[in-house]
Amino acid sequence: MRVGVEVGGTFTDLVAVEGGRIVVTKVPSTPRSPDVGAFAALTASGIDLSRIKDLGHGSTVATNAVLERKGAAVAFIATQGFRDLLFMQRHDRRNIYDLFYAKPAPPVRRKDCFETPERLRADGSVETPLDEAAIRAKLIPALKAGDYRAVAICLLNAYANPDHEQRLAALITEALPGVLVTCSHQVAREFREFERASTTLLSAYVQPVIDGYLHRFEAKLADAGFTGRFTVMQSNGGRLPAEAMRQSAITALYSGPAAGVVGATRQAARSGYKDLITFDMGGTSTDVCLVQDGRPSLASESEIDGLPIRTPVLDIVSVGAGGGSIAWVDDGGMLRVGPQSAGADPGPACYGKGGIEPATTDAHIVIGTIRPGAFLGGRMTLDGEAARLAFEPIAARFGLGIEQAASSALQLADANIVRAIQLVSTERGRDPRDYALVPFGGAGPLHAARIAEELGISTIVVPPNAGVISAYGLVASDYTKFDAVTRKMKLDDAAAAEAGKTFAEMRARLAAQFADMKLPGDLDYIHTLEMRFVGQAFEVGVEIPPDRLGSLDGAYLSGLFADAHHRTFMHGATLDRAVEIVTLRVGATLPIGTVPRLDREKLAGRAPGQAKIFHDEAWLDCARYTAEALAPGQKIIGPAVIEGYTATTWVPPGWTAELDPADNLILRRSA
Amino acid sequence: MIQLGPIDYAVISQALIASAREMGVKLIRSAYSTILREARDGSAGLMDRFGNTVAQAELIPMQLGPIGETLRACLRRHPVETLEEGDFLINNDPFEGGQHIPDVFIFTPIFVAGRVVGFGASVAHHLDLGGGAPGLNIHASDVYQEGLRFPPSKYDFQRDWNGGSFERLVTANVRVPDLTIGDFNAQFAANAIGVMRVKQLCERYGTDKVEAAMKDMQDYSERRVRAAIALAPKGTFYGEDAVDDDGLTDEPLVVKAKVTISEDSVEIDFEGTCAQVKRNLNCPYSSTLSAALSCVKSVLTSPDIPYNEGMARPITIKVPYGSLLNPRPPAPVRARMIPAYRVFNAVMKALAQALPDKVIATGFDCTTAFCLSHLGEKGYSVYLEIFGGGYGASRGTDGCDAVDSPLSNCSNAPVESLDIDYDFFRIVGYELAPDSFGLGARRGGAGFTRHCEILRDDVQLAIYSDRFRLAPQGLLGGEPGQRGYCRVHRANGTVEELRSKAAIDLAKGDIVEMFVGGGAGFGRVEERPDAMIDRDLADGLLTRDPRAARKLAAE
Repeated sequence: MRVGVEVGGTFTDLVAVEGGRIVVTKVPSTPRSPDVGAFAALTASGIDLSRIKDLGHGSTVATNAVLERKGAAVAFIATQGFRDLLFMQRHDRRNIYDLFYAKPAPPVRRKDCFETPERLRADGSVETPLDEAAIRAKLIPALKAGDYRAVAICLLNAYANPDHEQRLAALITEALPGVLVTCSHQVAREFREFERASTTLLSAYVQPVIDGYLHRFEAKLADAGFTGRFTVMQSNGGRLPAEAMRQSAITALYSGPAAGVVGATRQAARSGYKDLITFDMGGTSTDVCLVQDGRPSLASESEIDGLPIRTPVLDIVSVGAGGGSIAWVDDGGMLRVGPQSAGADPGPACYGKGGIEPATTDAHIVIGTIRPGAFLGGRMTLDGEAARLAFEPIAARFGLGIEQAASSALQLADANIVRAIQLVSTERGRDPRDYALVPFGGAGPLHAARIAEELGISTIVVPPNAGVISAYGLVASDYTKFDAVTRKMKLDDAAAAEAGKTFAEMRARLAAQFADMKLPGDLDYIHTLEMRFVGQAFEVGVEIPPDRLGSLDGAYLSGLFADAHHRTFMHGATLDRAVEIVTLRVGATLPIGTVPRLDREKLAGRAPGQAKIFHDEAWLDCARYTAEALAPGQKIIGPAVIEGYTATTWVPPGWTAELDPADNLILRRSA
Repeated sequence: MIQLGPIDYAVISQALIASAREMGVKLIRSAYSTILREARDGSAGLMDRFGNTVAQAELIPMQLGPIGETLRACLRRHPVETLEEGDFLINNDPFEGGQHIPDVFIFTPIFVAGRVVGFGASVAHHLDLGGGAPGLNIHASDVYQEGLRFPPSKYDFQRDWNGGSFERLVTANVRVPDLTIGDFNAQFAANAIGVMRVKQLCERYGTDKVEAAMKDMQDYSERRVRAAIALAPKGTFYGEDAVDDDGLTDEPLVVKAKVTISEDSVEIDFEGTCAQVKRNLNCPYSSTLSAALSCVKSVLTSPDIPYNEGMARPITIKVPYGSLLNPRPPAPVRARMIPAYRVFNAVMKALAQALPDKVIATGFDCTTAFCLSHLGEKGYSVYLEIFGGGYGASRGTDGCDAVDSPLSNCSNAPVESLDIDYDFFRIVGYELAPDSFGLGARRGGAGFTRHCEILRDDVQLAIYSDRFRLAPQGLLGGEPGQRGYCRVHRANGTVEELRSKAAIDLAKGDIVEMFVGGGAGFGRVEERPDAMIDRDLADGLLTRDPRAARKLAAE
């Protein structure tokens, strides 16, 4: 049996898969100690832990440790003269007109930042040797006095030569056994010292927390008779065994959204769809990701609380548009939706918990797509009157009917999501019309059709159990690890050959790491070269087709690069400019083999009911189906509403819906 | 003009803002020179067909403010009806809507069905446009010595760029043509992206709706600004600040502002400001306007009000011709950011009397341009970086430490990227400066020090900065911030103190120490909470306990 347990902010979801059978469990999360919620989900599901072979886990432990500043007491060490690296940052402001601006605060105080005499040059050669005497005499006693649990080291140009960092780490470990030491070259072997230092610091900061958490979790599992493999989700869309995760804590940030993308990708692939735009619409936000040929796009950098993290993550863009997002009118008279959210408490007005501001979920009730008596499969009864009341002020303000006001709010929420999708598609040179839209999360399938229309997308793939896709993603994801190294060289045939050689070394290193993790099997590799025109500062990543790896030459690579540059920036293809390689990146993936099925729970045939939906300025009469009662091949012609246990799908006029053999609901736009 | 529903308006306006933002991101990311790609000294936006700013990528406030002025100067010469597809407009003329020579504005008309509906606009600070010295000629006594001037003019992209005559003219007159032409290309591409996005919107929603949204966006900002002004106390308020000197004498250059807040408008009069000067500290009208608008916007309105032409409508400014803030040609203007900051400070001081809770004390508030150049066998190598300092404190917050000043927003270049790109110098220190800020109930932001080691002979340093002489003043009892300095530690052990506007030859082994000061404090230090003092003491940002003197006095 494979089990995925995903700890979210509000709910902890569990998906257990065995043969064709699937068990879905939802319990409230326990933010103080997420493992309690996770075990509550395991208990509630009634699963015998000794039967679980594969337990995939995703949690917000690492993310919360940073956001709530609950990581380890950490010291930071830089090259002499650069102790303030983490406070200097990039000297810029995120909001240019904010007089009271404050920089993102790193989770370390200035008193805990130290420096050491040494300096490397850009090519890795030594300008000033590491002063070991000074380290022993001054730095080590200062570290001892500080009572730190972790130390982060980021020396200038260490990406080009890790010797000084390694030696310094060894001296510290020797003098302070038990203190966890993290070096920048281990975490991100790339240039740009602030971004690398921030990544190193955050890694050192969360590592002891993750370590402790996983340790507790494993002990509890063992007590309960679990003997299978325990794995943890990463932000790059792959898993790692819990043991390995303790050395790679930084990749545990934002694992939840990544698991969702992987789950949606895997499930859509069953129906043959591999070029996708996924959007996960939850309570407060919507996460969007572009998937090319079955592989989610990666970004080389992300941030948490304004602090940069330089490790590959799934390229997920988040906007404040969810079921709880509030519609409001600003002081210039413009109607807006989000980013403020009613959250789970008080929640939308229809929750009847005291919320009076109109939220997206209220709008759905007003226009009829959500039935007050059938929310979350009937487990929660909503107050339809409260929802209507909440929209009254907006209706009055613009001289609209209540339905029109609600419908306007939904259109604005859709527009926000459309912009997020444009950010990951059109702005990166991809045409959304070439992709299928895969909505999930509780509210996704309700909004999908209109968003697809805005973008010219003609196919929508609604996965079964759209509300627990993240938990499914945990058991459907592969094992993944990335390596990257900055090696700046002007692109010519020799450099291309050198890149091929470096790639081979990186593959060997990754293979050894997988062997260490006791993960045998054939690895799949993705090779990316980050290149730029000589003189530029930002690189464009170009993936190298596997069949060309053995025969790389300068002309071929510069052609690949110029095309990619032109796709994004609308210039470059015809430029006769020199190109340089900056960073080489390899991703290694161990496929998990058979992907488990995510089937819908089936109910006996049930006749459709009636629904009245406000659409395009008019009330439409349409059918209301139960998702669990649909038969494969049954064609539903919009307008229609399809209610499921975890999500409702809206099929507007001009669209058809059909359940396919993979149990996905496929929506198509009629010509 | 058609009436837009709330949905169409919200959707189209947000899409226009998103397009401007995309233009800005791509301008920076595909640029070549460190000043544009790392320091991000460039901006982008969308304009309507009349030359009004509609939406902007929020990058550099100074460049953003008067883009409309710059475009309208072009349109006066080349009316919108005369433009043809493929044309672009260009302007960097400080006396015809531009700011200073390095900031080149390019406008690309957006044609839909044969008619111009608006313009894609971008501006970039170019590393070198010729002139009397690489990157920065601090000795220029007129604008001709500051580099190539493009008066408001029109060219055809296919014919005149891409190997055409205009491109070759530029190439032949700049010292690092590879980077400069690359940066121009990034500007053209950013404009093309804006053009494409607006065309897509017109296709999707109809040209009339898009144009209506452009107009409504300006009205919207205007309404919000007027609403904010209506809440402010009415009356006339005075503020004054000064530039250290003009680089030749020791005479301060005084900037005076009289700010009158009426029912729903604000008038700012700079009568009494000193006359224009012989060196590059003159501030063209566009720059004065921009600095004044930025201050009013920052103080009066919430940051989410989109900056466009409507924002400027309720605010009028009067600047005497021939003064420091509206110089006659051919005055040199390269360092116009420095007087522009005094405009910002003088207006802020006036507003402080009306709205003490919404202002900040004076910060270091200065653009320090730091330029190193070297002529090697392979041609010129030019390094230019912009430094800010510490922000002023407010009623509720300490000033921001070590950040670019309010009118600008330049990033630093990573030290590791300088190590890769330059072989004639190396940064050997970059640290927060303890005690550099003014104390108060809230303290100013800390300034910082950079140490730069010279690795070759025959290196030139040119700087312009300010507040080497006149410190930023605190508000309501807050203490002043520290003054800046620039020193050269010669290889032979001697130390040379530089003026705030200076150029000097350097040799291998010299170390340049550049210090930019902190911001001033707000309120009396006696009111500063103990925990905040203790924290700064522990962090080494404060080396003397201000309570010690108090205790002593009490005993």
